[in-house]
Amino acid sequence: MNRSDRRVISREYFSDDRLAEHHFRSFNNFLMRGMQEVVDEKATIDTDIGDKEGQEPVYVELGDIRILTPRVREADGSEELLYPQEARLRNITYAAPVFMEMSIIRGGEEEPETVVDSTETKVGRMPIMVGSEKCNITGFNDQELIEIGEDPVDPGGYFIVNGSERVLMTSEDLAPNKILAEYDTKYGDEIQVAKTFSQRRGYRALVLCERNRSGLLEVSFPSVSGSVDFITLVRALGLESDEEIVHRVSDDPEIVKFMLENLEEADVQTQEEAIEKLGKRVASGQGKNYQLKRANYVIDRYLLPHLHEDGVEEEDVRINKAFYLCRMAEACFELALKRRESDDKDHYANKRLKVSGDLMKDLFRTALNKLARDVKYQLERANMRNRNLTVNTVVRSDVLTERLEHPIATGNWVGGRSGVSQLVDRTDYMGVLSHLRRLRSPLSRSQPHFEARDLHATQWGRICPSETPEGPNCGLVKNFAQAMELSQNIEDEQSLKRELASMGVEGIPGVNRTTPADD
Amino acid sequence: MSIQSPKEIGGISFGLMDPETYRDMSATKVITADTYDDDGYPIDMGLMDPRLGVIDPGLECRTCGRHSGSCNGHFGHIELAAPVIHVGFTKLIRRLLRSTCRQCGRLALNDEQKEEFRDRLVRAKELNEDPNDVLKAAVRQARKSSTCPHCGEPQADIKHEKPTTYYEVQNVLSGDYSERIAEAMQPDPDDEDDVGLSPQDLADKAEISLERVNQMLAGEFRPRKDDRRSLEKALGIDLTEEDMNKLMPSDIRDWFEDIPDEDIEVLGINSEKSRPEWIILTVLPVPPVTARPSITLDNGQRSEDDLTHKLVDIIRINQRFMENREAGAPQLIIEDLWELLQYHVTTFIDNEISGTPPARHRSGRPLKTLSQRLKGKEGRFRGSLSGKRVNFSARTVISPDPTLSLNEVGVPDRVATEMTITINVTERNIEEAQQYVSNGPENHPGSNYVKRPDGRRLKVTEKNCEELATKVEAGWEVNRHLVDGDIVIFNRQPSLHRMSIMAHEVVVMPYKTFRLNTVVCPPYNADFDGDEMNLHALQTEEARAEARVLMRVQEQILSPRFGENIIGAIQDHISGTYLLTHENPQFSETQALDLLRATRVDALPDPDGEDEMGSPYWTGQTIFSLLLPGDLNLEFTSSTGDTVIVENGQLLEGTIDEDAVGAFGGEIVDTLVKQYSERRARIFVNEIASLAMRAIMHFGFSIGIDDESIPPEADEQVDEAIRNAYERIGGLIQTYENGELESLPGRTVDETLEMKIMQTLGKARDSAGEIAEDHFTEDNPAVVMARSGARGSMLNLTQMAGCVGQQAVRGERINRGYEDRTLAHYKPHDLSAEAHGFVENSYRGGLTPREFFFHAMGGREGLVDTAVRTSKSGYLQRRLINALSELEAQYDGTVRDTSDTIVQFEYGEDGTSPVRVSSSEDFDIDVDSIVDRVVEAEFESAAEKSAFLDRQEPPTNLSEYGEPRGYEEVESDD
Repeated sequence: MNRSDRRVISREYFSDDRLAEHHFRSFNNFLMRGMQEVVDEKATIDTDIGDKEGQEPVYVELGDIRILTPRVREADGSEELLYPQEARLRNITYAAPVFMEMSIIRGGEEEPETVVDSTETKVGRMPIMVGSEKCNITGFNDQELIEIGEDPVDPGGYFIVNGSERVLMTSEDLAPNKILAEYDTKYGDEIQVAKTFSQRRGYRALVLCERNRSGLLEVSFPSVSGSVDFITLVRALGLESDEEIVHRVSDDPEIVKFMLENLEEADVQTQEEAIEKLGKRVASGQGKNYQLKRANYVIDRYLLPHLHEDGVEEEDVRINKAFYLCRMAEACFELALKRRESDDKDHYANKRLKVSGDLMKDLFRTALNKLARDVKYQLERANMRNRNLTVNTVVRSDVLTERLEHPIATGNWVGGRSGVSQLVDRTDYMGVLSHLRRLRSPLSRSQPHFEARDLHATQWGRICPSETPEGPNCGLVKNFAQAMELSQNIEDEQSLKRELASMGVEGIPGVNRTTPADD
Repeated sequence: MSIQSPKEIGGISFGLMDPETYRDMSATKVITADTYDDDGYPIDMGLMDPRLGVIDPGLECRTCGRHSGSCNGHFGHIELAAPVIHVGFTKLIRRLLRSTCRQCGRLALNDEQKEEFRDRLVRAKELNEDPNDVLKAAVRQARKSSTCPHCGEPQADIKHEKPTTYYEVQNVLSGDYSERIAEAMQPDPDDEDDVGLSPQDLADKAEISLERVNQMLAGEFRPRKDDRRSLEKALGIDLTEEDMNKLMPSDIRDWFEDIPDEDIEVLGINSEKSRPEWIILTVLPVPPVTARPSITLDNGQRSEDDLTHKLVDIIRINQRFMENREAGAPQLIIEDLWELLQYHVTTFIDNEISGTPPARHRSGRPLKTLSQRLKGKEGRFRGSLSGKRVNFSARTVISPDPTLSLNEVGVPDRVATEMTITINVTERNIEEAQQYVSNGPENHPGSNYVKRPDGRRLKVTEKNCEELATKVEAGWEVNRHLVDGDIVIFNRQPSLHRMSIMAHEVVVMPYKTFRLNTVVCPPYNADFDGDEMNLHALQTEEARAEARVLMRVQEQILSPRFGENIIGAIQDHISGTYLLTHENPQFSETQALDLLRATRVDALPDPDGEDEMGSPYWTGQTIFSLLLPGDLNLEFTSSTGDTVIVENGQLLEGTIDEDAVGAFGGEIVDTLVKQYSERRARIFVNEIASLAMRAIMHFGFSIGIDDESIPPEADEQVDEAIRNAYERIGGLIQTYENGELESLPGRTVDETLEMKIMQTLGKARDSAGEIAEDHFTEDNPAVVMARSGARGSMLNLTQMAGCVGQQAVRGERINRGYEDRTLAHYKPHDLSAEAHGFVENSYRGGLTPREFFFHAMGGREGLVDTAVRTSKSGYLQRRLINALSELEAQYDGTVRDTSDTIVQFEYGEDGTSPVRVSSSEDFDIDVDSIVDRVVEAEFESAAEKSAFLDRQEPPTNLSEYGEPRGYEEVESDD
């Protein structure tokens, strides 16, 4: 290829449209699939109506969600299409109305379930990213853009809330659902730790598997203070026999030796005993039945939540969790035996980026929960006053709107993160471009974190080697490289797994289903 | 205002206050919760009673008769209807309750134990240990005994429910003991083998008679303690329940009254100053109104302070309590009111107690009560007492002005008209003062305020200035604008050393920035990329005198950090003097005069010679010499490498560069300060800066990309050198892979290999640098700057022209990245130079993408380092300053802390100021030459000198029996 041809290609590749491409793709994905996913996760809103005797229970079923393009409601009640420039000038929010199908259903105890009311109602307004699919200016040519007061070369990729332009900062997190083995020190001794950030549907749980100084394995996970014996936990999960446990960890003779030490120390032999022991840990001082219930709840709810999958039996999930823990144990032992080096946290393969769509999904999830609580309250109140239950009267659209707009306007995101949204840097055109492609590490800027601030070789082609601020944020705030491509999470995990299986990936032998662990 | 003489604080003692003292110091009892009546006058015996002090101007304090501003206010008091606990002492109350007898109030320790703990307490205080440890141990010991060793009363456990409730807890037999026993005897329904326990079995197991067991089961006999224990053991159940008896504050007060003085000493309380019952408040002091002023809003409404609000609550509840009690209300209501009173008094003292909902303002904002006023960063101690705000200061951006003297600072006119200096009008300056006043506040040398002798301050306005000017008399004070020559203090943060704050003379200038001479940049560490600096106008004659004598820039030319000058020529000044003196160029008369036009020199000496055309010329060295004092003699080696010889103020040979005139130890500047005067040095530095700028402009000085290029054959040589290094490294790797590499002592083979590779590459870079250097001409501007020390180094040049060299992260070659390799461009386990960050190209030649990336990796480390280091060193400095701040050099030469403990017998252990010693290498002070110089200056003629020096007087003060001692003897005595 000669130079001029290459020039044509690269000019095409580095077109203006691609500058905020990652924001568009992520946000469009959220609009098209993410919102519906969140609604489907929620599925119903249950109420306390029916707790009293002689009352039929009432619940709300959530259906399809639909979003329009941004529009503005004037004082006279008329609704008109809203263009970004108008939103900026009038200090209003560039947001589109969101509609959701909701059905109030009564009955189920003595009477059959009946649909009391079912309509599609406006649940709130969703701020829309300028230039995204639901934006009113998409598809306009330069002339049309100029006519409505837009700058044809403006990259878009930001929101307009109360007239101010806000970018959602892409944040760089450690990859979830991945075993990371590393050294740590505890009471002055070097120990080996395998870590996994297990993540599913916005719930994030850190599971640690430690090999302490006496060679014993301990696992800690949320809702259990301190740590639990590895053997106790896998037995509680249904991996009972010594042989099976050892075999699942490794067949390597040295690791087997380590495992035998652990088994010798074990003080429970059966699943029941193990659950009982766990119960004493999670609900000490409570009744025995409650302890068992709590123990089962904890291991199904808080331990490795990412291994849950729709349509998979609880039994299978538990055994998968046991296998996963065994793999973590193996990682610890391998590290102890110097069979492997500790994982590099700064390796870009171990990083995942949270772009605007993912952030909006988090926001929408909590906003929907808030809406659900409000609907529940309104329903109960309406029921108490013996009013007719109608969807339109129990949904107050301000609740969702407020919960969506306020974090974008202030940057105070759910989960206590702040500075997530920032005012677009309009110092100059380059400032805007740089800001849209900026990337933030959640690491504290007050600590040195020398390694995390270094330019890592795996950032080649992905992160700009030169552009980083000087000062306390040095190396923690980064910018995308020009040719960076951001891949998206796949839509359908099942089909991916099928595809992998067809390519020769095998499941763990001994398990009927082929569910390769997620990593 | 009357002038009060300063008072010395003899000491501060802390203790509890007697309720009687509260009453004695109280100006009035407060009984009404209201503040002002309808006419806006404070209500008598109310919270704003005029006896508590005045805040409204015009009113008179009914206690001291003074007006607002001079009356500090007076405490009042509230008689509490019932005693309440002071929240600040809850832990002490608990400790006292637990360690003393509920009956006789004495400490539950016998005499030996008491003695022991008292001794340990004394010892802990002597050793400066935490007395709390001893006190805790004493309480623990006292709690052990279940009965009082003095009166035998059984002791109950004390339970403390935060924040202010105390219970006596005793385990007593539960009321439903018979049901509990019966239930435990029933068989377990889930267990078929369990048939339960018959009364006979129980009797056997618990070793109690069957009859008793039956009685107990029937509830007719309450089991004794021993029986209960055995029953509990036999059945595995608990038969007790806790009996909690709430201790009211009045109970606690009665209890504490019984504690004898000698016992509280053991518990660490000074019985002379404090009695434990005083912890329980019966009287509440009401802070003076001046401590809780109310503010009048724009609409005329009064808004009260948070403390006043809280006091209103307390008085209201107190009133209600008394009324209810007199009316004989049921105990339950009384207790509720008591608790409410306790709550209000608690939140009055501290509104951030965990477990207590904070008292809130109507708007929902938590009230800021006493403890909140003192606590934390914005509290009274850290915020108001340690933190200082200052008037008469200005801050703006700085910019350079080479025409100013280094002693001066350019002050924008708008700053000069805003900031003022107070002058006292006397007969001598009355005309001057009147002129300032009549100019008004807007015309520059004007004034903003005047103060009459009666203390009244008047603002000078455009309208009244003429009229005011006529009124000004001796005894008035005039706040006049800053004018040229005023002394001000100038400062740039961070103020890391004393040269960060120096005194300058004002030069009023147009525009908006502070202007300063570039030679004072090094002490302030300032540049002009947006730096801002602060300026303070001095307000008293003493301060101005002190600043002029001690703090002026010229007095700070020498840095106490290293004893040499910190002010001197920088950057282009040095290039300029280098160009002027290095090749000793010749200048025509016009040129020479042009070079010297900004100096005091206005006449040229005899010319050094004549050129071919017959016109006279002066050399650069001659021109430079004009700035030196006529009797200066010096010899040193310049940073260029040649010897500089100055004889009788003439530069005979050598190049003037950084080592001669530069900041941070320029030999000539240093010598001028030490041998002549600060003034002479200041003149020299000013002039050298002007001369150098003229010189560099005469020659012209620029640098471009071509100045770093080397001829192709040199490039060839550089490549050759790098190729050689690569070959050697290839050999090293080969031997390593064959397992033949010998490790260096104390290192592994891998480390040895790394080290050797690094060494080889370092050498390669150096030889590339040498090759490049050989091809640079002497007049290359980059070389001129590097040689003269103006900016940059030969290494920078090497990297620009030869080879950038190895990039390193944390002292090692670049090793991190993908698994077993740095970048995906290399094969795994590649040990070669280029795979680990060796940059063989030069900056001018351009880096390959991979080299660029490695360079960015190395560069990032530097950036992170600077960012992290600045914050760390700042904190380190702060801690050091805080640790040393109280040390002071006394007039007797010792260094002492605030308690007069001697830290050093002589300042710095040698009593030497770094700026007063010679900075030459052998550290000898040339006493003879100094003496000669001083003596020479002192006497006008040789005769006078000898008359003074040769005079000899017989020794005096000798014992009449002693022989007169000769001078030799005295001299040898050392």
